[in-house]
Amino acid sequence: MAPIRLLELLILLAALAGFAGLLLRRNLFLKVLAMDVMGSAVVALFVLLAARSGLRSPILPRSGGLLPQDYADPIPQAVILTAIVIGLSIQALLLVVITQMARIDPSLDAASFEPKDQP
Amino acid sequence: MTMSWSSTEGLLTIWLLVPYLAAFLAVLLPSLSHGLVLLCCSATALVGSEVLLSGSSTQLQLLGALGVNLSLEPLAGWFLLLNGLVCLAVWLDAQRQGWDRTGCMLLLVLLGSLNTSFLTTDLISLYVSLEVVGISAFLLVLKGATANAHWIALRYLLIGNTAMAIYLMGAGLVYAQAGSFQFEALAKLLPGAPLVLVLVGLLAKAGVFLNGLWLPRTHAEAPAEISALLSGVVVGGGALPLLRLEQLNTSIGELLLPIGLGSAVLGLIYALGVNDAKRLLAWSTLAQMGLVLLSPAAGGLLAFSHGLAKGGLFLTARYWPNRSLSAWRSQPLAWPVLLPVWIGSLSIAGLAPLLGYAAKKQLESSVRPDIATLLVVLSVGSVAVYCRLCRAPLALATASQAPRNGWPWGAWLLMLPLLIGGLRLVGQVKSGWLISLVVLLLGVGLDLLLEQLRQQGLRPLPSLDRLPDLIGGLGLVGAGLLLALGSGVV
Repeated sequence: MAPIRLLELLILLAALAGFAGLLLRRNLFLKVLAMDVMGSAVVALFVLLAARSGLRSPILPRSGGLLPQDYADPIPQAVILTAIVIGLSIQALLLVVITQMARIDPSLDAASFEPKDQP
Repeated sequence: MTMSWSSTEGLLTIWLLVPYLAAFLAVLLPSLSHGLVLLCCSATALVGSEVLLSGSSTQLQLLGALGVNLSLEPLAGWFLLLNGLVCLAVWLDAQRQGWDRTGCMLLLVLLGSLNTSFLTTDLISLYVSLEVVGISAFLLVLKGATANAHWIALRYLLIGNTAMAIYLMGAGLVYAQAGSFQFEALAKLLPGAPLVLVLVGLLAKAGVFLNGLWLPRTHAEAPAEISALLSGVVVGGGALPLLRLEQLNTSIGELLLPIGLGSAVLGLIYALGVNDAKRLLAWSTLAQMGLVLLSPAAGGLLAFSHGLAKGGLFLTARYWPNRSLSAWRSQPLAWPVLLPVWIGSLSIAGLAPLLGYAAKKQLESSVRPDIATLLVVLSVGSVAVYCRLCRAPLALATASQAPRNGWPWGAWLLMLPLLIGGLRLVGQVKSGWLISLVVLLLGVGLDLLLEQLRQQGLRPLPSLDRLPDLIGGLGLVGAGLLLALGSGVV
C-alpha cells in the first residue's frame, strides 16, 4: 500500500475514533476532547489533500527541474487555517460552559444533566 | 479586482459587511445600537423584497474562482426578507426586555452571518458563516439564565460543531475530486461519500429528521425572543443550501425526499403527543422544515410563511400565563395576544386566505402526485396540532386582563405580512378549496379524538433527545444515506 493511502486510512480512523468517543464517553470534558480529536482529523485530512500524491519535499529538484505540482496545494491549507481558528474558539466556549456546569455536578457526568421530563 | 463602489456588486458587498461593523459599533457606542439594528434589519428586508419583486438574479465572485461565491436570486430573497422581518420583530420585543448592548451585538452578528449564509454558494464560505451563526445563537441561548440554559447551549454547540466537522470532511473530499469548493462542483460529482458528509452537516443545521433531534428542546427552553429567532430564521441557514443543491441536481432532491417526509411524520407525532405549548411549536418546526426540503420551487415561500408564523407564535409565548396545554382551555388570553396566536396557527395549519395556505398549495402542485396526496394526509395532522393552540378562550377586555407587559408588537409585525401576502397570493390558487375544507374538518375531528385519548392517559412518547441519541442520529442518517446510494435505491 502506498504510504499516502495508509495515512488516509489513519486519518479516517482518527475521525471515527473521535466520533465514537463523543458517543460513548460519559464525561462531558472527555466528550469535548473527543470532538477535538475529530476536528484534528479533519485538519489532517486537508493537509494530506494539499500534499497531492507525494510526500517528498521539493527542495531537491528532480532531473527536469521543479514543477508547480511538486509543491503542496495552497488552497486547502488556506481554508483549513480558518477552520482551525473556529475550532479553537468553539472549544474555548464549550470549556467555559463546562467550568460553569462543574459547579452543579463536579463529576461532569453527561447523564446527570439530562432533564427528566417529557420529550 | 477593480470594483466601483456604486455598482450593484459594490453595494451588495457593503450591505453584507455592514452588520458586522455595526455589531462592533453597537458595543463601543451603545447609544447608537438601536438605530444600527433598525438600519441593518430594514436594509436586509429591503434587499430581500427588491429581489423578490424584480425577480432578478446576481452572481458575484470575490477573489476569483476559488474565492467567495455569492448568488442573490428570488429563492434567497425569501430568506433575506424573513431574516430582516424576524430580527426586527425580535428587536422590538427585546427592547422591552431590557437587552443590554451584548444582546444587540449578537443580534447584529446573527443577522449578518445569516445574510452571508443565504447568499454564498461555495462550501467554505458557507462553513464559516454557519459556524458564526452557531456561535452567536449559542451565546443568545445562554442569555436565558435558567438552570437548564447551560446544558441546552452546550448541547447545541457540541452537536452543531460535530455536524460541521463532518461537513468539512465532505468539503475536503469534494475539493479532492472536483478541484473546487463550489456547489456546482459538488452537484456535478457522482453522488457518494462527499455528498453524504455535506448533507449530514447541513441537515443537522436545518433541524431535519434524526439530525434535528436537538431542535425541540433547544427551541423550547430558550427565552421567547431567542426561540423566535432560532425557529424563524436560523434553521433556514441549513435549509437554503440544501434547496440550492436540490436545484442543481434533482437526484439530491430524491435522496432527501424520504428524510423530509420522515421529519414531517416524526415532528407531527411528537407535536400531537407533548403537553407543553412551546415544545409543540418546536416539534412542529422539525415537521415543517422537512416539508420545506421537499421542493426547491416551493421551499422558499413555505420557509418564509412558516418562519413568520412560528417566529410570531414564539414571540407571544411571553404573554401566555402557562405553557401547559392541558390547562390551555381555562386560561383566557387578551385579544392582542390571542389574535396573533390564531393567525399564526391557522397559517401553518394551511387555512385560506393566509400565506401558509398559498405556500401549501404551491408545494402540493410542485411535487409528484403520490407525494401530494401524502401531503394532504399530513396536513390533517398539522390542523390537529394547531387546534390545540387555538383552544384558548378570549379574555373579556377588562383592565386586569390586559396583556401583562404591553402590546406584543413583534408578533403583530410578523402576522401582518402573513395576512397581506396571503390575500395577494390566494387569487392564484384556483382549485382545492373543497379538499382544504375536508382537511380542516378531519383535523378538528382528529383533535377531538386525541383529546379524549389524552384525558384517559396515554403512554408517554419515548424520549429521543438525550445527548447520545443526538450524536447517534447523525451517524444513523449518514449510514442510511450511504446505504441508499450504495444499493442504488435512489
